[in-house]
Amino acid sequence: MRSRFSAWILAAVAGAALVASAAPASAAWKGYISHPLGFAFAAPGDLKFERGKYQAAVAGNCDSMVWRSVDDGIEYKVIVIDTVAQANKAATLLGEAEYIFQDQKKLLMDAFGRVDGKFGRKLTIDLPNKSRTTAAFWFVNGRIVSLQATVPANGDVDTPEMARFVDSITFYPVRAADDALELPLPK
Amino acid sequence: MRRFAIATLLGASLAAMAAPAQAAWHSYVSHKLGFSFEAPGDVKASVGAYRGQFAGPHESIIFRSVDDNIEYKVTVMSFMQAQADGATILGEREYNFQNEKKVLMDTFGRVEPGKDAIYGRKITVELPKNGGRTLGAFYFVNGKMIVLEATILPANGDYASPDPGRFIDSIVFQLQRTQQGATELKLPE
Repeated sequence: MRSRFSAWILAAVAGAALVASAAPASAAWKGYISHPLGFAFAAPGDLKFERGKYQAAVAGNCDSMVWRSVDDGIEYKVIVIDTVAQANKAATLLGEAEYIFQDQKKLLMDAFGRVDGKFGRKLTIDLPNKSRTTAAFWFVNGRIVSLQATVPANGDVDTPEMARFVDSITFYPVRAADDALELPLPK
Repeated sequence: MRRFAIATLLGASLAAMAAPAQAAWHSYVSHKLGFSFEAPGDVKASVGAYRGQFAGPHESIIFRSVDDNIEYKVTVMSFMQAQADGATILGEREYNFQNEKKVLMDTFGRVEPGKDAIYGRKITVELPKNGGRTLGAFYFVNGKMIVLEATILPANGDYASPDPGRFIDSIVFQLQRTQQGATELKLPE
């Protein structure tokens, strides 16, 4: 009886170890900061930079910078849109970006965002391909700053990682992680 | 039969007389402030005060009328020196409007088409202690925060009235779209 019980425990432990090894390994979260852009955040995995374009009726054609990482199937993106030349339209530019983000998508959440004295918005949408994106939008130093985390179709849409990423933003450098890496800006 | 018809007619006339008379809607414009809107009754201007944690203390101009126990209010605040902070100033005002109240609606507001669009928000709240229901619209245009609020007071009680929506949605920032014959708003001295 005792040996049968031990065998059962051994099998259970081995099974658990197998399941754990089969699950995708989550990368460690790191802190990032950009002193020139005025914000810091945390994200898992290695961030890769790419240039982008943003077009909207009011904002017109704007350059954007995108930092992106993928971890455990979730895509993390920080998008900075250069609207410095028309920063006096801050409220409308931000509202327009939020509107475009959710336009013709299934809107699951649209709530106030408030961090370090700044007001923005947090939205969650379901995309037509069944993936889900949670995003936050802010206007910082003349730029639209948006953090977006996307869980793919059939992924774990209840994962807390999306909110962890979106809520990690801070506008006070002292609140950034002590070992935060400086975000490299394009030359 | 004839007596019944006369009594019915009399009753209907009495009921109509007992109902509060609704004032006509007029169009109002301020070329100096850069907007126009429609409201019923006589719109009077006064000076008010606003304080936000981020915005700080600010003087405001208030245009107000009351008709059929619905209060119509347009509040204008100038933030010419802080236009780049407009998104946060507006967000703070919206947040304060709904804070600790029951929010019934919170949605995008957009006035004017295309590249001239002004984005803001429209929010409906129930006031505490059965104080009525307020529909608010919030915009930040050319360094000014413009807030339209229509409050259905308990004495009116018709919370499905279309009048607050008519008021809120009458805002115009492209003044060529203002109704002809609009009354120029007098600013408080």
